[in-house]
Amino acid sequence: MSDRLDELERRIDGLRAGVRKAMRVRDTVTARALRAELRGAERAWDSLVGGVPESGPDDQGGPTGRDAGSSRGEESRLVTVREQVHQALTLLGAPAQPRLIVAVGEAFFGGALRSNQLTSLRRDEERSFRASPYGRPYYLCAALTDRLSPARGLLAVSTWPLARRMVGPLSPRVDFLTCAIAVARQLNDDPRAARLLTRMARNIPGGGQGDLGPPDPGRVIEAAAGELAVHAERDTRDRDTLAKRATSQLGDTARLFGAATLSTVARDTITKGGR
Amino acid sequence: MSLLTSLARLRALDEGVAQPIATVRHCHLSARPMVFIPLKLSGEAAAPLAAMLGTDRAAPHLLVVTQPRNRDLRFAWAAELAGLLLPYIEGFLSGTETVERRGADPYERVLDAPQLVVPNPAGVAFTRLLGRSTRFRRPDGPYPVPEGVPVLGRWLTYFAERAAYPGSSLTLAATEELGRHWASGQSGLEDANLAALTGWITDGPSDEAEDPLIWPPAGPATDPGFDAEVLAPAIESGSAERVAEALRGQLEPTWRLMWRAIDLLGALPAGAGVASRWEQDRGSFSGMAAQLAEGAPPQARRDGAIAAASRLARMERAQAAYDVQRAYDDPLVMAEHRLTGEAFAGEVVETDADRVEGEGRSRKLRPLVVIKTDDPVRLAPGTALGTPQRREQGAELMSARDGLVTVKITKGMGRSKTPAPGSVPEVGERVCYTSLTDDFKGSPGLPEAEATPWTHGGPPPEYVPADEDAVEEWS
Amino acid sequence: MNRLDVLRGTTPQKPHDARAIAALAANPGCTRRALMDGAGIDKDAAARHLGFPAPFGQSPFAITRGNVFEALVKADGCAELLRMLREVLGLPIAEVAYHDVENVGAHLRHAHTRALFDRAARDGLDAGTVYDHPLLSLEIAGHTAYLEPDVVAFQMGGRFHIVEIKSFAVIDGQADPAAVAAAARQAAVYVLALRRLLEELGHDPLRVAHDVVLVCPENFANRPVATLVDVRRQLAVLRRQLSRMTGLDGLVAELPDDLSFDLLPGEDGLPTRPAAELADALRRVTARYAPDCLSTCDLCFFCRDEARQEGASDLLGRQVRDELGGVASVAEALGLADGTRDPAEGQEEIARLLRNAERLRRECLA
Repeated sequence: MSDRLDELERRIDGLRAGVRKAMRVRDTVTARALRAELRGAERAWDSLVGGVPESGPDDQGGPTGRDAGSSRGEESRLVTVREQVHQALTLLGAPAQPRLIVAVGEAFFGGALRSNQLTSLRRDEERSFRASPYGRPYYLCAALTDRLSPARGLLAVSTWPLARRMVGPLSPRVDFLTCAIAVARQLNDDPRAARLLTRMARNIPGGGQGDLGPPDPGRVIEAAAGELAVHAERDTRDRDTLAKRATSQLGDTARLFGAATLSTVARDTITKGGR
Repeated sequence: MSLLTSLARLRALDEGVAQPIATVRHCHLSARPMVFIPLKLSGEAAAPLAAMLGTDRAAPHLLVVTQPRNRDLRFAWAAELAGLLLPYIEGFLSGTETVERRGADPYERVLDAPQLVVPNPAGVAFTRLLGRSTRFRRPDGPYPVPEGVPVLGRWLTYFAERAAYPGSSLTLAATEELGRHWASGQSGLEDANLAALTGWITDGPSDEAEDPLIWPPAGPATDPGFDAEVLAPAIESGSAERVAEALRGQLEPTWRLMWRAIDLLGALPAGAGVASRWEQDRGSFSGMAAQLAEGAPPQARRDGAIAAASRLARMERAQAAYDVQRAYDDPLVMAEHRLTGEAFAGEVVETDADRVEGEGRSRKLRPLVVIKTDDPVRLAPGTALGTPQRREQGAELMSARDGLVTVKITKGMGRSKTPAPGSVPEVGERVCYTSLTDDFKGSPGLPEAEATPWTHGGPPPEYVPADEDAVEEWS
Repeated sequence: MNRLDVLRGTTPQKPHDARAIAALAANPGCTRRALMDGAGIDKDAAARHLGFPAPFGQSPFAITRGNVFEALVKADGCAELLRMLREVLGLPIAEVAYHDVENVGAHLRHAHTRALFDRAARDGLDAGTVYDHPLLSLEIAGHTAYLEPDVVAFQMGGRFHIVEIKSFAVIDGQADPAAVAAAARQAAVYVLALRRLLEELGHDPLRVAHDVVLVCPENFANRPVATLVDVRRQLAVLRRQLSRMTGLDGLVAELPDDLSFDLLPGEDGLPTRPAAELADALRRVTARYAPDCLSTCDLCFFCRDEARQEGASDLLGRQVRDELGGVASVAEALGLADGTRDPAEGQEEIARLLRNAERLRRECLA
């Protein structure tokens, strides 16, 4: 067996050198071919060393990887992810980025979300909505920009009032303050919750108290509410205007998931008109 | 760089092999050096990736962080590193000698001290960062780290600081030491590549030294191609063995180079001043060990104004002393001063050994020596001189004209009425005199730390590591 | 047709990014580089084709780290960034408006950026405070380069600030000086581009501050910290270099008519021109190799090889070159040292020094 290992190691070294040489001269075709061969050799080496079967269930390199469709296992995991995200967003009460959603999931629901699980969520939800509109009690959907396109990297809940999902110039800040207040209100004994609140509090004037000690939720709420009062009026006005525009210009799908481009807006408007 | 070194570089380029610029070794070489080659994760300030280290060239230790973004694994790695480095360091503390001091209590000095050898100055810088990121940690409290890690941090900080101290050999950077003894036929920038520099000194230059597939970089930065094609897939695979093997492959060539560098330096005879500088190193090391034993706090994040100024003054004195000592120890270094006219060498053509000056009680022995030299002497009459041939001797330049220099000897001839035998050079002897001397002004009159003027921030608060230091994220 | 375009031939123009523009000032005396950059030729591709691939590359770990850090700075409505801007610029609480310029399709971003900044500079009312990834432009030797600063911050009734987000750490108040210098050079490119934009729109260009906000992680944590960096010096160097590039016409006029740096890319985009022919063409334009090129120019290995063949003392670095006082070749310097070559006029002093040095080395190594 060790002979075989030695031989594999030599081959792996040779292949690696080949790949790097090819990459240096940007010969991507050769590099890709060699890389494939290399992965094969490395898998063989792993299995020989660790006694793992050569094409186990963890095998991600082969063509039968995750794209092969949704097994039952994946389906159930998807539901869990979806629910966890819904819980977190409901707690926050405002559109949020995956990073914050993951942190809230950890701190308050003992969840183990990873942000890469959230990347395709919006697309999956849109597909599901298109297949059977309003078939689910809620959808995880987009927040909409002033062009009514989906805002980059934000998730929202379909059952919220439309204005809450609109992103005016002040909205990112307003939403952050809203989220900070929500987190402060829910603060529990979990050190992860305290850490999250500390991180948020230090970015609110008067909210932090140095870097040490658990944050004082009352103080964070007060500070965040104080700043919120400065922005609230204009932000509410901006959002309402946008929401009106969205209602009049967008069809159901686009209202939830956003219009991809200007031309989409036009098409959606027409679709709506035709319905 | 002097013209002499430039000429050596030109010659090296022409002949295809490095040229010596020293005839003796100017650093101490331990009988048991600790070779330490750290690697860091690209893009991070001080995230360790791996290290190869040890005192036995046949048995290097490999320490690897198999998931470099995992904080716990990083501290586990630091703990492993402590497990190897601390016993090595502490092993030197048992044998000591008592040193008497004028005006101060005697102290215990170790008989031998540890020596850390890293590949290059970047390796020293990374050692400093590793020290900085671990010395404030605590084994208890909110973010506990394994025992030994904070102590390791203080030692790494110490070794990195000593590396900047002129003439100290507690920490050596291989490329720097090689570059102090040989001139390659490439630029100083390219000399920072250990494989390239060693190549020039041994087998001759080769472009292979710049091919990361043949000679991986000596760290702490890794080759981006290796990161992309080997390391990233290995980390993703979750196979610790694969990550370890990949990194072993990157480190082993450098490991061999490091010992080659040590052999190259070891083949040179030690300069006369090496032992006394190593004695200072031993004293400094003993002092650091005593501070640790007394429970002193970790080194501050930054020096206060007085500490910084006195440190700078100390370093400047050490640099001046080191420069002079090397010139006295090594004719090839002295030659640089001969070239600029601050030193000259030649044959003694005439002496007046019994010459005296003054009358009665003030009658003094002042022999004259005339030296014939080809060197361009640029020294004014009255300049005080010293000579490597007789280190106790003091002399003064009388005149220099047409390749003949007259020197008056003022010191180092014994107490009798005639010079002690051998204390005055004889006709036909080759001698060298220089205006460089090793007596320097004492330390500048800096106030005590408590008296720091307000213009320099006032007295620094006594450094007490805050909790913040201990819980600082390491991400 | 522009002579520089002729020089490039059928090779598609390589767009300059801020880093490349900042690097233009690295070796201002190098004609080869000035012409290739001016013509917009992909030096990296040329070097590879010549068999001297550049020794640069970026680790995927470093790239990921950079992206993660930028995302952190801008997360949650730029919460960290606003804290820092409030600290270093004294931004009032009310100024938080955020514009994600990247929400606009790529082809519209530059126009959108112009409109946004015009509105901000004009009345300030309803203007944004944080502009995420605006798209600026700068003329480089007759061609437009598009540039994308991380953030531009605007203070109502006040000034625009370029915000540059870098993932190298500031540890105990100190950062790698080379990294800071590179960031400053890059930020200066953005300052200049934004100033030209304001000027075009009829506003005072000096409303763009010469202090840029440099955001880096502090110590070993990920927490960002902002520092104001004065880039006036970098701006001056950059302006001077750009004016030189517009003055390339003078250089170009003296070139032989048949000279071409065309890589003749085939259908797959890979160069088809015989490498030896391209090398010959490049050699007809003088380079000024220095070891510093090894960290700044894609062509460095090609030029170093050329310097080796010529036996140029440039190989050993500027210090050696300066010390040799104008003796350009290795053979010449050694000949003077050995006494086998008589000094030319003006070389007497260096020849004397070299002969002395040679005598001393021989004596000591005997």
